[in-house]
This record gives sequence, structure tokens and C-alpha cells, in this order.
Amino acid sequence: MTKTIIRTEKLCKTFSSGGTQQHVLKNLDISLLEGDFTIIMGSSGSGKSTLLYALSGMDQPTLGEIDFAGKSLAKFSNDQLAVFRRKHCGFVFQQIYLLDNMSVLDNVLTSGLLVSKNKRELVQKAKELLKQVGIEENSWAKFPAQLSGGEAQRVGIVRAIINKPKVLFADEPTGALNSASSDSVLDVFTDINTKGQSIVLVTHDLKTALRGNRVIYLKDGVIYGDLQLGAFSENKNLERLEKLKHFLAEMGW
Amino acid sequence: MKLALANIRKGKSAAVSLFIFITIAAMLLNIGLMVITQMNPFFDRKVEELRDPHVAIMMDQASYHSGYDEFLTNYSGVTKTETEEIVMMNLAKFNYGSSELTSSVAIFNAENSRSIGPLKLIEKLDTSSANDIFVPYSFKTDGGYKLGDSFTIRYLGAVYEYHIAGFLETTIMGTTNIGVMKFMLPERAFLTLADHVDDSSNGIILSALMKEKTESPKLLNDFTKRFPQTIAGETSSYVLGLDTEIVKNVSTLTINIIATILVAFAAIIVLISLIVITFRVSNSIEDGMGNIGVLKAIGYTSRQILSSIILQFIVIVFCAGAAGIALSYVLMPFFGGAISSLSGLVWLQEFDVLINFVSIILLIFLVVLVTLLSAFRVRRILPVEALRGGIQTHSFRKNYFPLEKERGNLHFLLAIKSTLINAKQNIMIFIIISALTLAAIFSAVLYYNVASDKTAFINIFGTEPANVMVNVRPDADTGDMLNDIKKIDHVKNVNLFDLITVKIDDQTVYTNVTHDYSKLENNIVYDGRQPIHENEISISWIVSSQINKGIGDTVEVEYGSEKKRYLVTGLSQSVGNLGQVAALTMDGMQQLQSTYKGTSLYVYLDGISNKDFMNKVEQQYGDQIAKTLDIDDNIETQTGMYTAAVFAVMLIVLTITVLVVVLILYLVIKTVIIKRKKEFGVMKAIGYTTLQLMNQISISFLPVVTAGVVMGGILGYFFTNPMLSLLLSNAGVKRLDFTIHLPTILLICIAIFVLAYVVSMLVSRRIKKISAYGLITE
Repeated sequence: MTKTIIRTEKLCKTFSSGGTQQHVLKNLDISLLEGDFTIIMGSSGSGKSTLLYALSGMDQPTLGEIDFAGKSLAKFSNDQLAVFRRKHCGFVFQQIYLLDNMSVLDNVLTSGLLVSKNKRELVQKAKELLKQVGIEENSWAKFPAQLSGGEAQRVGIVRAIINKPKVLFADEPTGALNSASSDSVLDVFTDINTKGQSIVLVTHDLKTALRGNRVIYLKDGVIYGDLQLGAFSENKNLERLEKLKHFLAEMGW
Repeated sequence: MKLALANIRKGKSAAVSLFIFITIAAMLLNIGLMVITQMNPFFDRKVEELRDPHVAIMMDQASYHSGYDEFLTNYSGVTKTETEEIVMMNLAKFNYGSSELTSSVAIFNAENSRSIGPLKLIEKLDTSSANDIFVPYSFKTDGGYKLGDSFTIRYLGAVYEYHIAGFLETTIMGTTNIGVMKFMLPERAFLTLADHVDDSSNGIILSALMKEKTESPKLLNDFTKRFPQTIAGETSSYVLGLDTEIVKNVSTLTINIIATILVAFAAIIVLISLIVITFRVSNSIEDGMGNIGVLKAIGYTSRQILSSIILQFIVIVFCAGAAGIALSYVLMPFFGGAISSLSGLVWLQEFDVLINFVSIILLIFLVVLVTLLSAFRVRRILPVEALRGGIQTHSFRKNYFPLEKERGNLHFLLAIKSTLINAKQNIMIFIIISALTLAAIFSAVLYYNVASDKTAFINIFGTEPANVMVNVRPDADTGDMLNDIKKIDHVKNVNLFDLITVKIDDQTVYTNVTHDYSKLENNIVYDGRQPIHENEISISWIVSSQINKGIGDTVEVEYGSEKKRYLVTGLSQSVGNLGQVAALTMDGMQQLQSTYKGTSLYVYLDGISNKDFMNKVEQQYGDQIAKTLDIDDNIETQTGMYTAAVFAVMLIVLTITVLVVVLILYLVIKTVIIKRKKEFGVMKAIGYTTLQLMNQISISFLPVVTAGVVMGGILGYFFTNPMLSLLLSNAGVKRLDFTIHLPTILLICIAIFVLAYVVSMLVSRRIKKISAYGLITE
């Protein structure tokens, strides 16, 4: 039986600006399962990223509960959330956001050293992960600006998973990459998911969405559709693509 | 102009900080320059306005003869002379400030008709009484008196009770540091006093006005040359000569030094402002690279863009400069009060358009120059480069403190990394913190030496820091008295230490005489040594430069009718007597006057109060003693005015130091947070807490703050004395040995360090308000 890792209850997020209120998430009840590769899709302004950042403890909900691995995030202070994030969440951003003035290895260690006490083990692990995602040793001392977009995003993924997070959150991780780079990054996501890493990923892209086993479609701040797509497999890709297309057509995408 | 105003609005906090810096700089600069440029003309105007004498010579009536009048009347350039009977008290005692002051006093008949130095009262009581007295204005500004207060003069065992009926203004005998003070009594009280005092206290004052008052020192010098026997340091024939130029120098010296310190501090603030402008220009070019690209693309020339950058600073400097100048006029009454306290004259503030103009133009010129130099690279940027965000400025040469290899706390390492990649910003903070620490130490050392441990301060006046001076009557045996006093309980030591006037190579010079200079506590010789043998003399460096003689040369010393040649063995320094001092041994003095035995005994006490000792000695040797003087009390009173002024300077410097440290760190950290907003957002996202990020920011400034504080501390430790020597060189100081109190320096350094850390933490707290999500998405 697969365990629920994140569960929300009546999750609301409202933004106020200039006296007007914008209700971005409306009474969302959602359960995400351990080991799943969950894709969140929806049109612009549907609340995808807002949901991602609320689920990951990056932002506080306006109302409602978020149970993340048995912890109620809504009751956490900002600093408690920070400590929670460093242990249990990993983030991959569309704009990558590596720290400009640090080398590749330091970018990874900046996150890892927050949790690990054994530096030697951590450095070893960081190097292994970098190798696994195709970042070879000659690039470890490079600065982010010296990497290609795909390379930088793969470093971003290593930084995100160095602390073995319970869930890896990704906000349009291939949005700023060309096709070849996208594929290499998506392969890394698939690879780590296959090894048991839970992933929640926001995307507009069909090819990216196909990597997930579940697709949640948001519309106007509510869950409009929820598709069980099954695990990613090169062999069944066409069939899954048709299923996804059909689902999205139903959603009005 | 619209672009300039838009730029100001965009960087409001930087503009406000710069505004404050320039306001402070303009204020200090304007005050300093106004005081420096107005002080001497102010004094000269007062001399003319009050019709005060350009030369005044006082003596007891027995020493007076008409030859003096004739000399003055016939002297070339003298336009008017007057001779008037006065009561002349040598070493009278009265309360002044919080202690008792011993000073010479010249008491005039207020109702005498005179055209030189007429009575001009600033304040007076409406009613008159038999025991009225009019005292100089400094008694109000510095001495703590007000109209109607009782005033007691103790002189030669008698006590004279008065009450203050008015404060008079005088340039020539109005403050304690001149050595003689002018009082006036109504005729009846004056005649009563003149009858009561002994003959030697009934004196004459000769006053002269000259066409050119700058000739007054020459007149006085020629007078002493013509009548050498009159100024012999003998208590029985007391003669005192003052010329208006000497008095002006003494009265304005401290004020000018303070004003110079203010201008120097203003220069530091201007330097800080210029560094801030460089930082701001550089940041605004980097941040606004896209805008520069757009402006260039739509046809703006580099000159137009440069003008908008320069114009914003001109607008700020002009407004801040005007505010600073306005503020300087608000604060000038405070400085006017200090000037009144130090000069005994009512300061009349004038609106000095020229100085105001110079202050603003100077600031604008420097700001435009620095802005141009900093912004000049705009000319080289192509529109396409700018639109792409500028030329890549990251340096990839070195990854400082790689986390993989370096040991230590993660946050500390991250802080150090961020320190090392911000070289320009660090240089700016380093220079500013160093300069401020140096200024703070300078002011604190000055205050410490003037108010707390006064030894070195007193030393520069050439004063021997004994506790009590006993003035022996000329007919008594000074040697016997010295030996007798030595045997009294609680007496540590006694030295004969006289001050006489001799001529050295035709220059009139105040000369000390003692048996053995090694037994004195204050050695004013800074090069060579004090005389040991009878044919040796030390001279001050001012005398040395006047007569063009140095160590190893021989000089001709003239005392009375005797002349002898002496070998110069050392160069000395002294603020007292305008730095024109020399020193002979007793044997050396006896070469000039074989019967010379001296009159002043300096007594060093231990375990007895000065007053008790003075009473004891007066009771025991009353008939052999002319006067006793409490040296400690006198020093306390006379340095009181300096203490207040130096305290004000220290307060200004320390307040501004704190303000500038706060503003600079606020400006820099705010800029850092804005520039690294996304980076902090990412770090928050991956699990760094607000406190950890605040600590990282604060710690990243600590190395450069520490370096700045240490550098400022070292500079302060080693260069405060040379800087003060330079400042006091006009007054006769060549090498200063102010106590550099290490704990005070450490305290200042630690205080600035702690202040910087606390301010960094407080300013970086603004990170708390920004969520990880907000930082990333904003």
C-alpha cells in the first residue's frame, strides 16, 4: 500500500493587491502519494505554481491545512518552515537560480552542508550525483555562467536532491531550456523517480508531463481533473501520449 | 532634469544617506571656515570697537617714571597714549568655575575718564551699591557667575567682598589664559581699595594705540630693550607688558584649533560622501544597464545620460549643502558661546555669503569630478551591450574558500565568500571605517588628555606639575627656605623653578631657571638635553628659528647689564609664552647676576591637601613668603575652558561617527539585499533561516569592519600625536607626547565593531519580511 506523503484540506490562497482580492487556490483537497511523479498542469493563472509553493512550505496558505509527512505546515513559523524544507524538500526552478558566485560543487554543498554533519561523505555523495546527472569532474570548479542551460539545471537537480528530500518540487524545470537540454534534464527526473524519489512538477509542456504517472489539472484554483497515467515507459509512450492528450482535451487545454 | 529626479526617486535611501552626509559635511565645513576666516577680523574689530589698547604696560607706582610715557608718546606709529592709576594685584585669588583661580588682577577706577579701553558693559544691574564690581564677560560664559553674585578677592591675607554689578567686554585682559584680568570698581570702592592695599600693589598702567596694531609686539619688545631693568622677574618690581597681537594669538589659538579639527572632520565626511557616490554611480550603472541600453537605443547621447547621472548628485549636493549651511547658522550660537567662553568677547554672527558660496561650490566641484570619473564608462557602453545587461562582470578566476576543502562553520564560510567577492564595496567600507575610527580616537585622545590625564596637556604649556608654588620674598634666603620646606612632613620634593625674562641674541625670551633639570617632572626638551653646566642653555624651537641658531651654536644672553655667551644644548617646546622660552641652570644664571638666588619654589606633595600645606607654610614662614599658589587648582581652572571645548568636539565627532557608520551600513546592506534578493530567496528555499542569512550578511562585513577598525586604531595610536603636533605647531609644539590611552582606543575600536555588527543585524532583519517565495517571484 502506497503511503500519502502530502495531504491538503480546504487549502486556500488569496492575494490582495490595491484593495482587490484574488482567490488563487479555492478549498483544495489533494493527496499526493510517496514515490509518485505528480504533474500539475493548468492554464496560466490557474494556481499551479502557487499550489507548488504552498505544498512545499515556501509560502503560507491563507486558509486550510497541509499535512506533509505527518507535519502540519500551516502552523509552522517561517524559520520552522526553512528547517523543514532543508530536510524534506528539494526545489528545481525554471530560472535555475544557482548561486552565481559559487562553483558547481559549492552550489551543491551549500545545500548539503545545511543538513549533513559528515562533510567527507557529503562531498563524495555530491560528486557521485553530479557524475550521475552527467556533470563531469572538469566542470565541478566552474561557475554557473560557464555552464550550458541543461548542465546548470542538472546541477540544480543535484542541489535539490543532495539531502534526500521526501519530495522534489520542480517549477517548469525545462521552461528555459532547448529541446536537447530538456530531454537530458527530464531523463534525470525519470531516473531519480525510478529510484523512489517523490516528485511534484509543474509544467505546460506535454513532453514533460508524459514523464509523470499522475496528472492533476487545475482550473481557476480548483482541481478540474486528475489523471492516473501510469509509470513512464519508452515502450508505452505513444499510448500514454494519446491518453494525456485526450485528458487535456477534456480539460479544455 | 526629469531623468535626474527619476534617478533620485529610484534610489531614495541612497539619496537620503548622501543628503545627510553632505549636510553634515557642509555644516562642519561652513562652521570651520567661518570661524577660521572670521576669528581674527572679529578680534581686530573688537579691539577697534572697544578702543582697547594695542599695548598695555603695568608696573607698581614706585617703578614708574615719566621716561616711559615719553618713550611711548614719541615711538613711531603711536597715535595715542594714556597713563592711569590702577590697583595691581599680583597673584590674587578668587573663585572661578568650580575651583579657586590664582591670577594677576588689574583693577581700574570705573569712573575715570579715559579714551583708551573705556568701560563697556554687556550686562549690568539696574541698581548700584558701595561694593559693586565689574568683571570680564568670561566670568559669565566660563566662570559660572551671574549678575548680583557675590565675588570675593583674597590677596595678601586680606579678603575683599564685592558683588557683581556688570560684565565688561575687553580684548586684552578678559580671560584667564592671558595671566592678568581686568576688573573695574566704582570710584569710592576703588579709592578705598587703593588705600587698603600695600604700596607695591598701587600700580600704573600705560596704554598706547598705534596706527598699525600689528606693530605692537615690536613696540613692546623695544620698550623692554629700552628699559631692561624693569622686567626682571623680581616680586618687588612687578611689570607686565601685553600687546594686542599676543593676546589675539592666545585668545584665538584654541578656537582656531577646534575650527581646524571641524574642517578636517568635514573633509573626512566629504571623502565618505565621495566614496558613497562612487559606489552609488557604479551600482546605478550596473542596475540600470537595461535602461541605459534603451536610452542609447532611442537616441540619447552618452553626454545626456552622463548629465542625468551628474545632475541627480548636483541636485542632492546643492539641496544638502544649502541645508548644511542653514544648519551651521542654527549651530553657530553654540560655537559662538564657545568662542565667547574662550575669548571673553560677545560673538556677533554675521552672514558670510562668500564662505557659504565657497563651501557649496567646493562640494559641488568635488562631487561632479568624482561622479564624472565614476560614470565615464557609460560612454564606452554600446546600446546592444547594455540591452543584454552589460559586459559580464563576474570574475571566474578564483572560487574563494571552496566548501569542499575549507574547514569551519558553513555560514561563516559563506559569509567570507561573499566578503571576498565584493572588493570595491569592501575597500569603500574599509576606508570609511578606518577614517571614522581614526577621527573618533583622535577626538577621544584629545579629550582624555585635556580632561582626564592632564599631564601631557599641561606639559605642552611648559608648566611644571608640582602641587604648590611658594613665592619667597626677595629679602629671604631661598636656599634655606628650600631646605626647610623639604623637611616638612608629606613633602616629596622641592625645586627652585623661576621664570624670568632675558634677551637672547636681542630677542626677549621667557627663561626658566632651576638647579637641576633632571629633578623636574616636565622635560620640555624634545631634541638634545636641558643645560647641565653653567655655560649651557636650551631654547625653544621657535626662538631657535627666530635667531637662526640650533644645538651646538652659542647665543648671547643679556640680563640687566650683563651679557654672556652660552652653548645651546637642546631644543624645547611650549605653548605658554607663545613658545618663546629658554632654560638656564642656576649656575648659568649666576653668570649673569652673581647674587641671583631665585624666588619660586615648586613643592611636590604626598598625603596632604594643597590647602592644608599652604596654610601650614604660611603660618610657619609667613614673614618670608610673598605668596603661595595652588598649582593643581590653577591648572584645573585654566584648563576648564579647554575641557568644555574639547568635549564638544569629541561629542560632535563621536555622534557623527555613529551616524555615518549606521548610514553607510544601512546603505550598503540594503543594496546588498536588493542585489542578492534572488540569491537569498533561493537560500531560503533550500532551507536557510532568516537568522542564518542575517548572520551571513553581518559576518560578511566583519572582516572588513575589523580591518578598518584595526587600521583606524593603529593610525590613531601612532599618528594622533603627530597630527596634534601639526595642529599645535603654530602654537609652539613640535613634538607632542599625549598619552595614548590604550584601553580608550580598544574601547572605541570594540564599540565601533559592535555597533557595526548590531547595525548590520538590524538592517539585515528586513530579509525576515521577505518570504522565499516572495524573494524568488518579486
